[in-house]
Amino acid sequence: MRLARRLSARLLTGLVMIWVVASGTFFLVRLMPGDPVATAYEADIVHGMTPDQARAATALMYGFVPHQPLPQQYLAYMWQLAHFNLGQSITYEGVPVAHVIAAAAPWTIILVLSGILVSFAIGASVGVLAAIRRSTKLGDLLSVSGSVMHGIPQFIIAILLAYVFTTLWAVLPPLGAPYDITLPPGWNLPFIGSLVTHAILPVAAYALASYGGWLLTMKSSVVSVLGDDFILAAELRGLRPLTVARYVARNAMLPLFTILALTIGFMFGGAIFIEDIFNYPGLGDVLFASMGKRDYPLMTGTFLIITTAVILANIAADLLYGVIDPRVRRS
Amino acid sequence: MAATLPRPRARARWRTLVRTPGRAFGFAIIACFALMAIAGPYLYPANLPIDPDAIYAPPSLAHPLGTDFEGADVLALVVTGARYVLLSAVIAGALIVALGTATGVAAGYYRGPRDTALMRVTDFILTIPHFPLLIVLATVWNFGSPYAMGLVLGVFGWGAVARAVRAQTLSLRERGFLEAARGLGLPGRHVILRELLPNVAPFIAMSLLLSVTAAIYAQTGLFFLGVLPFNANNWGSCSTRRCSRRTR
Repeated sequence: MRLARRLSARLLTGLVMIWVVASGTFFLVRLMPGDPVATAYEADIVHGMTPDQARAATALMYGFVPHQPLPQQYLAYMWQLAHFNLGQSITYEGVPVAHVIAAAAPWTIILVLSGILVSFAIGASVGVLAAIRRSTKLGDLLSVSGSVMHGIPQFIIAILLAYVFTTLWAVLPPLGAPYDITLPPGWNLPFIGSLVTHAILPVAAYALASYGGWLLTMKSSVVSVLGDDFILAAELRGLRPLTVARYVARNAMLPLFTILALTIGFMFGGAIFIEDIFNYPGLGDVLFASMGKRDYPLMTGTFLIITTAVILANIAADLLYGVIDPRVRRS
Repeated sequence: MAATLPRPRARARWRTLVRTPGRAFGFAIIACFALMAIAGPYLYPANLPIDPDAIYAPPSLAHPLGTDFEGADVLALVVTGARYVLLSAVIAGALIVALGTATGVAAGYYRGPRDTALMRVTDFILTIPHFPLLIVLATVWNFGSPYAMGLVLGVFGWGAVARAVRAQTLSLRERGFLEAARGLGLPGRHVILRELLPNVAPFIAMSLLLSVTAAIYAQTGLFFLGVLPFNANNWGSCSTRRCSRRTR
């Protein structure tokens, strides 16, 4: 019951946030120098459309017509959004924005999700090692490696990896597409294999750039748990070291799960560099390309979807944390 | 006594800085970059000389870091590019710390409905994915001026600082000395500025540093993608052209 109330409260704030962002993008496009909507309308008339046709074509793209008063345009835009209509893309002629986004989203999700999971696995396990061996050379070395890799921008790591493994020592397929374009797409072994080999570098770049954060968080978390009384008690009872290590890991993991959930939320917008460098047709790539081509319906639509995904993931993370850690529920 | 206080303090600070090699080294690096940003653009002509005979030349005595796609000296590009990046990063960092601290302290100290309202705004700022937002904003705003860049990075970056400062304020305000200050009937302004802020200061200093770093990453990243005014010389555009992938 309390969970339901909390969920509805969070969903309401989420909706308000989405509304604010949608209004922001609406006014952003309207305030743009050169008024792209009116320009599109006039271009249609120049191309031989009647004013009625041009009005209908503009309405299809943006959700509103340029000659109406601003409040009316705003209401029309919101009405379309409430029906999950994001308008039509300009560059992909006649294709709804929602379809372009739906085609791009899986690339981003697969790429970033595997990147996050790999970096989390490496960071968390190396973090435990760094915490247990914290007073030795190995522990120092591990921590320093985390800080250093955390300090190098993602795109520098990605370029270096691409250069080393596709040019200098060409063991991995060249950049250009997320799979071997000579193979027919489908659920067959060679195609999936080429997907995997093409994904090695981007995932590695993502993981290398972000494992340091996990490592340092896990290390400090483990160190604080190691000093707890229940660990001492477990050791005094003569439990096997492996069992004790499991106790430590389970308790040290908790703060990491919140960060993990939040990171998964941000993944929808967080892979622009990797997508750009390795030519993945994901959401970041769509957003960036739409900006270059001045495809405003696609741009605002993608931005809105990315923001909505982040907001929803935050709500999910918040609720999930209450499920994982009973102490949160009680307080 | 009060008049002589600053002098030994400054000397002590200098001594703590120089005594550990790590700190002295870090200070030297920062000083070097600051010098580059302040003096760099005066060392070279406004339009860097281009040598069409030496395109993508390897490092040599004349060009210690080699040359780029049009034969301009890379070292000169790095030195003259420092000002934009560092100036906007410092502006962004200062804004982030000012807005974040003000919001965090106000929310944590006054609590109640003001806290709720301020934290809603903070959550909103934290939730919007920043990088996509920067890309969208770049369509209306030409980030040719470092002030505009710093302003945008600052206005959308203070969420995390506000959260952390609020948490610290909440725990500090229950401490004895703050309770005593309030009990004495001191005005809220005095309590916040004289009693509360000095205790949050170390954290604020650290977040200033982290914010400046984050601002540098954000803008070089943006420029790397090619979202940039082409006339500007800066670190990000250097790295884009170095890859010779894009000519916008």
